[in-house]
Amino acid sequence: MGAALALIPRISNALLRFEKRAAIALAASLLLLILLNIVTRELESALFWVDELAIYTMIWMALIGASAMVRMRTGVAVTIVTDLLPLRPRQILARVVDAILLAFAVALVVLSWQWYDPIALIRSGFDFDRFAELTLKFIYSEPTNTIGIPKFWVWLAVPLMSVNMTVHALANLVDGLPSGLESGADTGQSASQELGL
Amino acid sequence: MTAAVFAFLLLVSVPIAFVLLGTALAYIEISGNEVLYQSFPQQLFSGIEKYGLMAIPLFMLAGEMMNRGGLIRRLIGLASLFVSGLRGGLAYINLLANMMMASIIGSATAQISVMTQAMVPEMERAGYTRDFAAATTAAGGLLSPIIPPSMLFVIFGVLGQIAIGDLFIAGIVPGLLLTGGFLLLVAVLGLVRDFPKGQWMTRREAARAAIRGLPSTTVPIIIVGGILLGIFSPTESAAAAALAALLIGRFVHKELNLLDLPEILLRTAFNSTLVLFLIATANVFGWVIIFEEVPQRLTLWLTELSSDPFVFMLLVNAALLVIGAFIDSIAALIVVVPLLLPIAQTNYGIDPFHFGVVVCINLVLGILTPPVGTGLFISATLAGISPGRIFIALAPFLLVTVAVLVLLSWQPWLVTGVLG
Repeated sequence: MGAALALIPRISNALLRFEKRAAIALAASLLLLILLNIVTRELESALFWVDELAIYTMIWMALIGASAMVRMRTGVAVTIVTDLLPLRPRQILARVVDAILLAFAVALVVLSWQWYDPIALIRSGFDFDRFAELTLKFIYSEPTNTIGIPKFWVWLAVPLMSVNMTVHALANLVDGLPSGLESGADTGQSASQELGL
Repeated sequence: MTAAVFAFLLLVSVPIAFVLLGTALAYIEISGNEVLYQSFPQQLFSGIEKYGLMAIPLFMLAGEMMNRGGLIRRLIGLASLFVSGLRGGLAYINLLANMMMASIIGSATAQISVMTQAMVPEMERAGYTRDFAAATTAAGGLLSPIIPPSMLFVIFGVLGQIAIGDLFIAGIVPGLLLTGGFLLLVAVLGLVRDFPKGQWMTRREAARAAIRGLPSTTVPIIIVGGILLGIFSPTESAAAAALAALLIGRFVHKELNLLDLPEILLRTAFNSTLVLFLIATANVFGWVIIFEEVPQRLTLWLTELSSDPFVFMLLVNAALLVIGAFIDSIAALIVVVPLLLPIAQTNYGIDPFHFGVVVCINLVLGILTPPVGTGLFISATLAGISPGRIFIALAPFLLVTVAVLVLLSWQPWLVTGVLG
């Protein structure tokens, strides 16, 4: 049990590295897709599927980033009350917040599971029409507008985020307290390098 | 009960996106409205399934590229050409530099932390008091919501389903009013307090600053011109600006290394995630508001108070000053717009562009006011003086902003006039 617990932060860190690479690739793709859109439109041969693909690219980037941020503990939070507390209660509250995030992440996994209902999918022999008949859920029947694949493929970003978030939230709990316990300035650091006036 | 969950999560400092998510979950659990669970994950996705939102990561990317490629530094050099010799020259430069940074970073708190470190020591060396130096820097952050590309405008446009490009245009006159008000304030304060005189650049220095700064002007021209002339959507202008900044930084200034790109992209992705995930969770949080009939109750209460649009706008301003003082401006905007915009439009006949500009300027004030003004505290920490002293030095700037807000609330055409 202890060994398994010790493994979780390592899995989480490996996952975080993967998430960072994916976020970089998706951000680059987003830029290229919008530029492609401008160029093809100016050449009067606009590609009709680019906009939709670009939007999905952004959503995947955002949802992958959202789970990574749980591990990095960078979210905008209101710290007015917690800042007033002495160190010890603040440390306890930090653990409580970690636990709350884990609970929410697990809830998202459960809801995603019910949404995709993989067991009913197997029962229906991966036949999407039969799945809809059996469950009265139409997740597998919904098409995308222009890119020609069923929508459930792009929606997979949500279950993926939920699972990753769960791993990260668990790892945070196993790892213990966030370093330093300084609060508030998280978002401020983002753009704060070299202006060099 | 749901309100108690919301307050608890917020106060124990759960990240705001998760506060919204958790409150929505708690609401469904408490109300037994379990059918909502079925579409919960899908609603998270569709909350950000919007074309206009792509402007957020792309503007951030353009900003990162401009910063790394040395474009911002040169633009500031170019701007100081015109004001460096005036009494209080450095204060003007500070405001102008902040304006440019604001248009790029999109987050007022991030900007205040960058600029305080850069400008306060310099102004102190030139003979300004530290209080005033820190206050001027922080006040510059107030210009961020109206100078395109404004994150708040993009978000307001998406939430209110109005054209983001037109919102940018609607922000021009208010932006000029606010900037003009600040410059005037510095001029008056300069006379009263006898600010140090600046030094004009020599002709050779001026020529050098102009030539060095010229290529960098391409980027703002692409953004503002592209949107104004209708060549680009705001999203496209952001992508074009990012590309232009990349090319100038790489080939003209030769400061941007292509090996820096992964880090720039990663920062862009994570910084925009902060905003996008918040919007995604706001979509499920919206249920709570709708099913609890909050807008209806609010409408009833407000319309009983007054039927005059100006009075309504003043009430909204007062309420937002309080809300903005406690919650992050983007989070506040996300919660407030779906609540108040319909009331403003249907019950008071207020133009959505007018409403949007006023609300966005107002919410940024909150970062500079106690008790939760993050900008105020960052500024105080970095400048090494107490928040109280900065606040006193800031007061004139805040009063100018409030005056502009009242003026805009009173005379809607100042905002909507340019839209024709």
